[in-house]
Amino acid sequence: MLTLADVRYRYPGAARDALHGVSLDARPGELHAILGPNGSGKTTLLRVALGLLRPDAGRARIAGRPAHLWPRRELAKIVGVVPQREETAFPQRVRESVLLGRYPHLSLWRGEGAADRAAVTSALERSDAADLADRWIATLSGGEYQRVRLARALAQEPSVLVLDEPTASLDLRHEMDLFELVRDLVDRENLSAILITHHVNLAARFADRVLLLAAGRPAGAGTPAEVLSRDAAERVFEWPVEIQQFDARPQMVPLRKRKDRP
Amino acid sequence: MGLRPHRPHLAGVLLALAACRGAGHRQAGPSAIVATDDAGRRVALAAPARRVVSLSPAVTELLFALGAGDRVVGRTHWCDYPPQVSAIPDVGDGLNPNVEAVSARKPDLVVLYRSPMDATAAEQFDRMGVASALVSQDRIEDLARAARLLGALTGRAAAGDSIADALGALLSAPPPFPTSRVAFVVWDNPPMVIGAGSYLDQLATLAGARNVFHDLAAPSATVSLEVIAQRDPDAIVVLSDSGALPSWAHRPEWRTVRAVREGRIISLAGSLFARPSPRAALATAELRRRLEGAR
Amino acid sequence: MKALALGGLAALVLALAVILGPTHVAWADLSTSPVVRDLRVPRALLAFLVGGALAVSGASLQALVRNPLADPFLLGLSGGAGLGAVLAIAGHLSGPWALPLAAFAGALAATALVYRLGLVADAELDPRVLLLAGVAVGAFAGAVMTAIVSLSDAVELRNAFLWLWGGLSGASWLTVLVIAVYLPLPLIVLYASARSLDLLALGEEPARHLGAEVTPVKRRVYLAASALTGAAVAVSGVIGFVGLIVPHLMRFGWGHRHRALLPASFVGGGILLVAADILARVAVAPRELPVGIVTALVGVPLFALLLRRWTT
Repeated sequence: MLTLADVRYRYPGAARDALHGVSLDARPGELHAILGPNGSGKTTLLRVALGLLRPDAGRARIAGRPAHLWPRRELAKIVGVVPQREETAFPQRVRESVLLGRYPHLSLWRGEGAADRAAVTSALERSDAADLADRWIATLSGGEYQRVRLARALAQEPSVLVLDEPTASLDLRHEMDLFELVRDLVDRENLSAILITHHVNLAARFADRVLLLAAGRPAGAGTPAEVLSRDAAERVFEWPVEIQQFDARPQMVPLRKRKDRP
Repeated sequence: MGLRPHRPHLAGVLLALAACRGAGHRQAGPSAIVATDDAGRRVALAAPARRVVSLSPAVTELLFALGAGDRVVGRTHWCDYPPQVSAIPDVGDGLNPNVEAVSARKPDLVVLYRSPMDATAAEQFDRMGVASALVSQDRIEDLARAARLLGALTGRAAAGDSIADALGALLSAPPPFPTSRVAFVVWDNPPMVIGAGSYLDQLATLAGARNVFHDLAAPSATVSLEVIAQRDPDAIVVLSDSGALPSWAHRPEWRTVRAVREGRIISLAGSLFARPSPRAALATAELRRRLEGAR
Repeated sequence: MKALALGGLAALVLALAVILGPTHVAWADLSTSPVVRDLRVPRALLAFLVGGALAVSGASLQALVRNPLADPFLLGLSGGAGLGAVLAIAGHLSGPWALPLAAFAGALAATALVYRLGLVADAELDPRVLLLAGVAVGAFAGAVMTAIVSLSDAVELRNAFLWLWGGLSGASWLTVLVIAVYLPLPLIVLYASARSLDLLALGEEPARHLGAEVTPVKRRVYLAASALTGAAVAVSGVIGFVGLIVPHLMRFGWGHRHRALLPASFVGGGILLVAADILARVAVAPRELPVGIVTALVGVPLFALLLRRWTT
């Protein structure tokens, strides 16, 4: 659905490329994780893939069409994004906030109908937030709010789900919940999910495919087992690690530098 | 040597100085003048003022009328009558005056308009050793009082009394029966009119007209346009040097006022009518003439 | 149901504005009196239209800058209008429409300058820049205006400040007609942006992801809100608090979604200003209070009440 082919992009006035030679192919029924240290170009990749930035070289396509040519409303009907940051200037209830996800399907003249309300309810159920429906956003915890935002993206009825650092400030319980939830949606509904994260191990456990970025360049693309080798990890994360297996998936264990002390 | 032998000497000098300062107040020389201004302050001059700075157009006019025009060494930017004032140096604003500019004229008397801001300036002049007088000038009786005060301070007491008496006669003569009703309009949006506290209201009465807003105590007030329309003055009076119809006379909402619809708008020249002056009798006559013409 | 109540309140307040006034008009004469026909009715209508325009402008700007404290006059409009008016008087521009046109031009010049300042900072229509630039431009214009007034000859200039305090004395059928013809376009532009304004509340990038064409929408909203406010200032001076308070009051009953909030704000703003004008005309009759003072006197306690609701 979402493809990048050998994309290069440099921000105006920057000293080096933010992305160089990056390719991506997000297919339905796959959870695609994008990993890399801070500043490796993960968010830039997202912007190029969604047509917000135009690549200097290479191609970014969505459903076969160049990404930057998609009108935003049309795009919002097929791609649901949960961005890193969001503002809450005005108080709102959860149901109203999730309803915003239906806006790509509404027009000025067409108000919300029964179908839209049903979509909202369904989205809340699928993201395990049905019990939060009438709460005020300001009263939600971090984990609850994240589920609401996921519900909003699901209310768009997208074919592609994109999540940018969705578990950045969540505790373990909510992190695992969210990853399980996304995995579930990919499996049951055949969505294509792209998940940007820096939790290497969780990505390795849940993802079908991984793209590892370092300073804007691909340092590995393929299954977690193919990408997460000791050499690759040490090079990208600049720290000695050991790779162990858990659940038939590679897990990265960082080593201590001072081995003489317990 | 030490201080001791000098001590009695020093004390003697101090005593003598103290005596001199005290004596200065009491020493009534043949030409010493003492008067009280409108703020109740004591104004004292050793001799009739020879260098006067006037900080009010009405006062400037009054000084010339007293025959003391040659002694005016500074006037405000707004002083415009008589024509000779243009030759006198301009010291800036009358309200909140420029103390430096005024003292640069080396006056022995400064005359200011009585307002809280000018009271502070008057204190400043006093501290610099320059006599200052605060005068009110909202109504004709204020001007009569000012004529006597300034007459005394400039040694032109006879002229001062004569002007004051003339103004007094103007005021004490029985006013003519009001034959027309007027409203003085100062501004159009919001509509501002002149009330009873003002000189213009007094003039109207003397000229045989009744100010329809005489019931408002303030010198000027904002009123609703519909009140002007309802009170239906026979004529509207505006202060304008150009004599042309004010631009608001063409606006649709003002045409609900009969006097505007019928074009009975009288323009009076600012310098004669904006403030009380020794020419009050002339102003009264002029106003009466214009009112009759608008009938 | 709510809509009916609001409509009923509007009708009531308009009726009171025609019946009540500083002069007495007998019941029987109400329909024929020229005072009612040519002064009270157009004034009531103008108050309604101006109040509505200010409230819609305020609601839109609050969404644009994502700040509930935004007010139409925060963008330097009042300073610009005042400066325009003062320049017109000082320049002895003649004609009964010179003052309103100059104020309008001044208001628009101020918003153009604020916009331009945002471009210079490489932050086109960035909310924080808009607010800061608006305050700066407003203060600058105000200072220039005060300087001109204090240095000038014309006594009339001092009266310009009274005009600036806001008043509907200039109301006539002609003014009402001009405003009634002018308002629909900016109002429609804002209504058409209603959904995008809802999305904008989440932030610009989330709004884009949900289908809003953020940059064109911001430009349209900025322009339309300025056009509404500029017209209001031109005919009635600076009337504060209406644009700030009314959207908040309406949010209590109609929520945050602008498809409902904008029309509700229009009616609410109209009601508030008509009521304030009744007070301005009647409270100290035959004298009149500047309506901007009444809206402030009424607005501040209301605002304090709102703050309490908000923080609890």
